[in-house]
Amino acid sequence: MLSDLTFGQYYQAESFVHRLDPRIKILLLIAYVVFVFVANSFYGLLALAVFLMLAIIFSKVPFGSMLGSIKGVLFIIILTVILNIFFYTGETQTVLFWVITKEALLFSAFMAIRLITLVMASVLLTYTTTPVALTDGIESLLSPLKIIKFPVHEIALVMSIALRFIPILMNEADRIIMAQKARGADFESGNLLKRTKAMIPVLIPLLISAFRRAEELGDAMDSRCYSSGEKRTKYKKLKLTYRDLVVTIVALIFFAGVILINVFGVAFL
Amino acid sequence: MQIVSKGLTFTYNKKSDFKKTALSGVDVTINEGEFFGIVGETGSGKSTFIQHLNGLIRVQDGSLTVGEYNLNPTDKNGKKQLKKQLKELRYKVGMVFQYPEYQLFAETVFDDVAFGLKNFHPELSSSEVALKVQKALEVVGLDYDAVKNKSPFELSGGQKRRVALAGILVSEPEILVLDEPVAGLDPVGKKRLMSLLHTLHDTGVVKTIIIVSHDMDEISENVTRVALFRDGKAVKVCTPKELFSKNDDSADRLGLPVTAYVQKELEKIGVQIDTDYKSKDFIEKIIEKYKSLNK
Repeated sequence: MLSDLTFGQYYQAESFVHRLDPRIKILLLIAYVVFVFVANSFYGLLALAVFLMLAIIFSKVPFGSMLGSIKGVLFIIILTVILNIFFYTGETQTVLFWVITKEALLFSAFMAIRLITLVMASVLLTYTTTPVALTDGIESLLSPLKIIKFPVHEIALVMSIALRFIPILMNEADRIIMAQKARGADFESGNLLKRTKAMIPVLIPLLISAFRRAEELGDAMDSRCYSSGEKRTKYKKLKLTYRDLVVTIVALIFFAGVILINVFGVAFL
Repeated sequence: MQIVSKGLTFTYNKKSDFKKTALSGVDVTINEGEFFGIVGETGSGKSTFIQHLNGLIRVQDGSLTVGEYNLNPTDKNGKKQLKKQLKELRYKVGMVFQYPEYQLFAETVFDDVAFGLKNFHPELSSSEVALKVQKALEVVGLDYDAVKNKSPFELSGGQKRRVALAGILVSEPEILVLDEPVAGLDPVGKKRLMSLLHTLHDTGVVKTIIIVSHDMDEISENVTRVALFRDGKAVKVCTPKELFSKNDDSADRLGLPVTAYVQKELEKIGVQIDTDYKSKDFIEKIIEKYKSLNK
């Protein structure tokens, strides 16, 4: 039920993309997102889509799972498309139903592709990077902030614990839902208010167990003398390799391509 | 109500890349009045199987009937009927999950126990509900007046579990399914809970009891018949006596009850004992043997 959500899951595989340094992946994702918005023509977007395609192929993540990840944001995409179709003011004559113009249709398609590539690129990061590597990467990227006494390590720790607990709590929620269903609880019928109220017998035990787990985890960390103050060593050190260099160069070529298309290409449409 | 499962098959996440077969053709018949045990290693499909019994998991393939309810109807009419019957089925087949005390949520013990009853029988008056809640709490050995207005979170672990059990018994199920009912309790608590289950069974409060357990002593002491699950199949359905007998090593991977272990050791020094592996019977047989050897 809840575990059907594929968004943000890690996909276990041995691939080129999996082995990339998480810092490079995070930085490239940020750059990618920026360039998706910089691109102002279909050709620019096409270049970025090709880059994403290549990344997906090299990551060995099945294309089906990638498509599945869009399910969660499908509603937002459809809403964007519908709003744009009706409210984008084009200059040419209307094509359909008196209000819809050719520009509106093209612009909607453009927005949809933009959103899909954004979501897919972000999902590819979480699919190919373990939560631990992800937080290690973020911690390393934010480490310059330590100079201004920003608690980088603590925040990274909180993040990694939160990420780690998502599947556990989802599992637990599933179990509690089953148990309350066995006592005749009905989560499917009734209006929104009724259904929200029906979740109380699930949320209270879930909250209690989250607190219990937090306390146990705290005790376990204490008993191992965990403290974040001292200089901590890492079990897995992040290291840049030739792969990261290759990917960065390829990415830069694509990004340069987008800028060239923007400047010299047909601007929009 | 008799439970008949034929070729029951179930796959989790059937359509995705993460699919996992949990059941691959389970054939079991559990008769009314049995105290039935289900054993098997982790991941052998025990939990998935029991969740089918009250329709928490819909049958994907194979047939399953619980009493008069057909849980895998093929025609449209039957499917419609099942949808209506699901509520009825869920109170006739009570399901106690592992660590049921973690599912308590209400402000008072009374409200928590009444939760299931009110869901299943919204037509009951508040005095009828109170009467049934009182009965359920007393059946599980709790003092109604002392606990009814307490928060369930104030109680001890064993008491919490009793409250959770009362929350199931209150809707008067005919079949009670328990997943590891004594896990995490202290030895005295374990004994008390098991003897409570026997009382429920013997007095006919609950007709059929099904327990899932990893503890072979619990199985040999308590159940009339047992199903051994392995790789999504019920590979053996027999009495505990057959399962733990020296000629059958199918249960050895799960460990043996103490009685079976001692029997094996005794056999090595040439002492044969024929027992049903219940400790009472086993001790009697040993004393008998000892007396006859001493003569």
